[in-house]
Amino acid sequence: MGEKNVFLKIDSVAKSFGDVQAVKGVSFQVHGGEIFGLLGPNGAGKTTLIRSALDIIKPSSGEIEILGGEMSEGKKSRIGYLPEERGLYDDMTLWNTLIYLGRLKGLNQKTAQERSEQYLRELDLWEARERKIQALSRGMTQKAQFIAGVMHEPDLIIIDEPFSGLDPVNTRLIKKLLYRMRDRGAGIIMSTHQMVQVEEMCSRILLINQGEGVLYGDLQEIRSRFTSNAVEVDMAGEVDQVQGVEQMTPRNGGYHMVLSEGVRPEDVLQRLVSNPDLTVERYERVEISLDDIFVQVVGGEKLNGSGEEAV
Amino acid sequence: MSKLWLVAKNTYQQKLRSSTFLLLTFGLPLIMVVAGAIPILTELRAEIPEVGYVDQTGEMGVLTEIDLEEEKLALVHFPDQQAGLSALEAGEIGGLFILPADYFQGASPRYLSNSEPSEKLKEALGKAVRTGLLSGAPAWQVERLEDPAKFTYLAQSTGKRVSEGPAVIIRVAIPVFLAMVFVLAIFTGANQMGSVMVQEKDQRAMEMVITSISPRALVSGKVLGMTLLSITQVGVWILGAGLAVFLFFREDLIGQAISIPWNALLWAGLLCVPAYFLFALMGAGLGVIAGDITQARQLAGMLGFVGMGPLYFMGMIVNAVDGPLAVGLTLFPFTAPTIGLFRMALTEVPTWQLVVSFLILLGSLLFSIWFVARVFRATMLLYGQKLKPAEILRAVSESGLSFAGREKEN
Repeated sequence: MGEKNVFLKIDSVAKSFGDVQAVKGVSFQVHGGEIFGLLGPNGAGKTTLIRSALDIIKPSSGEIEILGGEMSEGKKSRIGYLPEERGLYDDMTLWNTLIYLGRLKGLNQKTAQERSEQYLRELDLWEARERKIQALSRGMTQKAQFIAGVMHEPDLIIIDEPFSGLDPVNTRLIKKLLYRMRDRGAGIIMSTHQMVQVEEMCSRILLINQGEGVLYGDLQEIRSRFTSNAVEVDMAGEVDQVQGVEQMTPRNGGYHMVLSEGVRPEDVLQRLVSNPDLTVERYERVEISLDDIFVQVVGGEKLNGSGEEAV
Repeated sequence: MSKLWLVAKNTYQQKLRSSTFLLLTFGLPLIMVVAGAIPILTELRAEIPEVGYVDQTGEMGVLTEIDLEEEKLALVHFPDQQAGLSALEAGEIGGLFILPADYFQGASPRYLSNSEPSEKLKEALGKAVRTGLLSGAPAWQVERLEDPAKFTYLAQSTGKRVSEGPAVIIRVAIPVFLAMVFVLAIFTGANQMGSVMVQEKDQRAMEMVITSISPRALVSGKVLGMTLLSITQVGVWILGAGLAVFLFFREDLIGQAISIPWNALLWAGLLCVPAYFLFALMGAGLGVIAGDITQARQLAGMLGFVGMGPLYFMGMIVNAVDGPLAVGLTLFPFTAPTIGLFRMALTEVPTWQLVVSFLILLGSLLFSIWFVARVFRATMLLYGQKLKPAEILRAVSESGLSFAGREKEN
């Protein structure tokens, strides 16, 4: 993607709080029309990065370009933000809250009303519009805050844990809206711990750990770097040991086999098939999940393959 | 509509509907009116009993009744105290009035009864003494002595005749009244600013709001909204007070050329409005520094004392209305409106003092907006944590500083 399509450019950004370095020279870019996953364990520095990008806090060093330049008051209306810290005005009705926050984002009264109605209906909150925020359930408040963050249809959307507290039906509704915004051309940064959602929705990711970027790039490419050296086998017959298999564990009526270093899965398959006492019914290479990659990387395990340098 | 006005409008509308505001705006004056009306109503409903009297001076003529405006005081003469006491004990009279023999040497008259005499009865007894002692005098003399001096009030500075009675009271009282209203407004309005800022943070919507509007505009909008709220409140009070004064003095005021002190009203506006903003900003700043509502209210209490500060100096100001202390406090931004207006009721305050006071106020106001916005930016994402003095200095000295990740330092 060209530079023109870069909606957020973080270049060697670092941030210290006293003696603690929360972010250590992280770089990444987010483009229009993509959903970008910002991943990392608790305290990794994700929120600090997001707040730096939004000019809520100033980074200690590094450069940030947002929507083609430095942050300005005018650009705030082109950015949508759903922070990790959830909260709206308890004493206000849902309707008034959305109108107020929509107008703060630059919408005029009429458009704020139209958009509020549209999103409230889409997210099944229309009937609750006259209720005070304090009377809404957690899931409803979550959806209300999501609407407040995106109703001005911004170019860049930053959402922190958008699905926490939502049931599967509401999760689908939010996903549908996010896809629509992406298709409209918005750049979306999604910070979450739900790896299943990242695998499904994000095209590229940045994984940060202890303030450092440790994985960055195309999700499929990253997954291909973390090839698993294990297979799942369903077979009839008894076997105690297979040459080239380091560990063999019964699982789901079959076996989970971890292969020795340097051993190819097809070699093991050939050995199993050539054993007359065995009938192989299923032989499948285990594909590593993003969840496993996360645990592996954050847990400090050896990276499999050279891959892209940590950013 | 600018975002600052949006915040102001939202703050105003939200607070306008709150029970605290409605109670303070309408409940407080109502309580004061009721508290003030009870003694008046009690007095109006009090009946004047038949009273016996003993004249031990021998100078009073015999009286049987005294004409009051709408009632009469029935009097029964007794030759001596014993006879009067017997009648009182027998219930023939409601009270016994004794004019002692050494009355002319300064002794006080006595009134014996089982109940406290009403103001109306006291007045009637005074009239009875005057009428009795002047029993031989012509009616006009008695009448004139009932109100021996009707004053004509002249303005000291211009020598012009101002007016008389309630009209002159109004002229002198307006600046003092406005000064008092200002102090009250600080107590009820500016003091709430701290709580408003803490609430804004506690609602945890700050992170969303701050990506829509600058900290300076948010703080200014909040202060403006609360100021408009105070103006509404004070407006209701002034309207109520004006109505009460008109109704109470209606007959005295009709036909009188009331002199409105326009000069004082103009300076009241020029000094009170920026001074109120200044107090409100200080309140907001204290709320930003405070960790929670309780601390914000405690700190706001201190602000209230600053607002009341000028009242402690009133005695000294009256004694030297143009002295250095009076001038100094007129120029000091936190005391300027109260002392300035108070002095205007007593003397002609030089215009240069008021102009300089106004300019100092504006300068202080601009500095406060910058200062509070800076501290606010640094602390807006701290929830339930009080700011330390060293951190306040850091927030002011370092541009764009945020303590949002302070927990990581600790």
